[in-house]
Amino acid sequence: MPGDVHMWVMVLGDLAIFGAYFIIYMIYRTMAPQEFLAAQQHLNVTVGVVNTVVLLTSSWFIARSVLAARAGDPERAVRLTYLGGAFGVAFIGIKGYEWSHAIAGGYTMPSSDFFMFYYMLTGVHVFHVALGLLILGIVVRELRNPRKRRTSMVESGATYWHMVDLLWIVIFGLLYVMR
Amino acid sequence: MTDTVEVASPPTTPKAGKRDVWIVFFIAPAFYTAFGVIFFALTRTMPPPRPDITTAQMVDFFVNHETTIQIGFGLLILIIGGAGIANGIVMYHMKRMSTGSVLAYSYMGGMAVGALPGCLLVAICFLTATFRPGRDPELMAFLYDLGLLSYVGSLGCFSVAYFAFAIAILYDRNEIFPKWLAYISVWQIVTEILAVPVFVSKAGPFAWNGSIAFWMGTVIFGIWLSCVIVFLKKATELEPVDSPPLD
Repeated sequence: MPGDVHMWVMVLGDLAIFGAYFIIYMIYRTMAPQEFLAAQQHLNVTVGVVNTVVLLTSSWFIARSVLAARAGDPERAVRLTYLGGAFGVAFIGIKGYEWSHAIAGGYTMPSSDFFMFYYMLTGVHVFHVALGLLILGIVVRELRNPRKRRTSMVESGATYWHMVDLLWIVIFGLLYVMR
Repeated sequence: MTDTVEVASPPTTPKAGKRDVWIVFFIAPAFYTAFGVIFFALTRTMPPPRPDITTAQMVDFFVNHETTIQIGFGLLILIIGGAGIANGIVMYHMKRMSTGSVLAYSYMGGMAVGALPGCLLVAICFLTATFRPGRDPELMAFLYDLGLLSYVGSLGCFSVAYFAFAIAILYDRNEIFPKWLAYISVWQIVTEILAVPVFVSKAGPFAWNGSIAFWMGTVIFGIWLSCVIVFLKKATELEPVDSPPLD
């Protein structure tokens, strides 16, 4: 199993918690399908797709950085982690643009149940991305120090980052795509 | 001449766990048990009564539960210091970590400030409402909203405390608490974030009695608190009895 067991407790528990949020969302959506569908039309799917590609690209860099760390090339692993982190920052920037656009259009939390779910699910996901950036920062710090360098730490960081990616894909499917 | 064979005495494990720390430790589960009885059984604050009711129904809530609110919150006012002790034992073990005391102070500061809106204010509001039940119904409704919004919606101070707790555990090299306890403290921050809409949502999952804002948060808090108490017990057990007192 890659990474340490503590990170897996976090990841599996977090997935279970988000799973509960997704089920609650589906229950409310099922109770008012037309209302949810109408509100959903105001989301910009193109921006959502761009953000999905941005986050998947960042995950690709992080996966490559794990391979570089395993192959004993920490400099390359650091460079790839920076690239992954930069795409993570871009994700947050695009999300900020999307939120400001929605708010300017008059779609705020009290507008409808759908937008309440939209802001809260994407908001708590962005919190996870920000926490992921902090974790990637710690990974870089360890990779740069020859005495602290541990492959398991790089793997744990990547495990967390891929969870953030997986959660986004489900959120994107539920909020933007599902008809 | 017979050789005397020295029989080695079996190695004795050094006694661990300081008596004063044990006493303080046991106050933590005792306080939280009393807290649960007061909030769930007596004052009917958990699960919270509905936000989407009329003023007359809010007045009825205070009239119907007047006696239990007065007994429950009267008791809470008396034992509220237990919250300080329950946070203090966490801070004590945080100070034993290699990370030093600064994060312990952040934890204590966050919890101490959070206790006012998150625990005490609802008690004062409900006790004020039941003190003069004949008061203007609009004022009763105001106390109902103020108490419950404050109780469920006090978020930021606790988030800071959980974050300080998580960072301290992750950087600690004395292994006072397991690392996964740090990660599950992050879940607590997630539930705090998801309770933000209680200030605009009067019904549904994000209202103050909703499935996400209240129930998910409460269940995860229960799991987190149980884990913290178990590992506080372990940390107390493992602390050498001859370790010098902390600064």
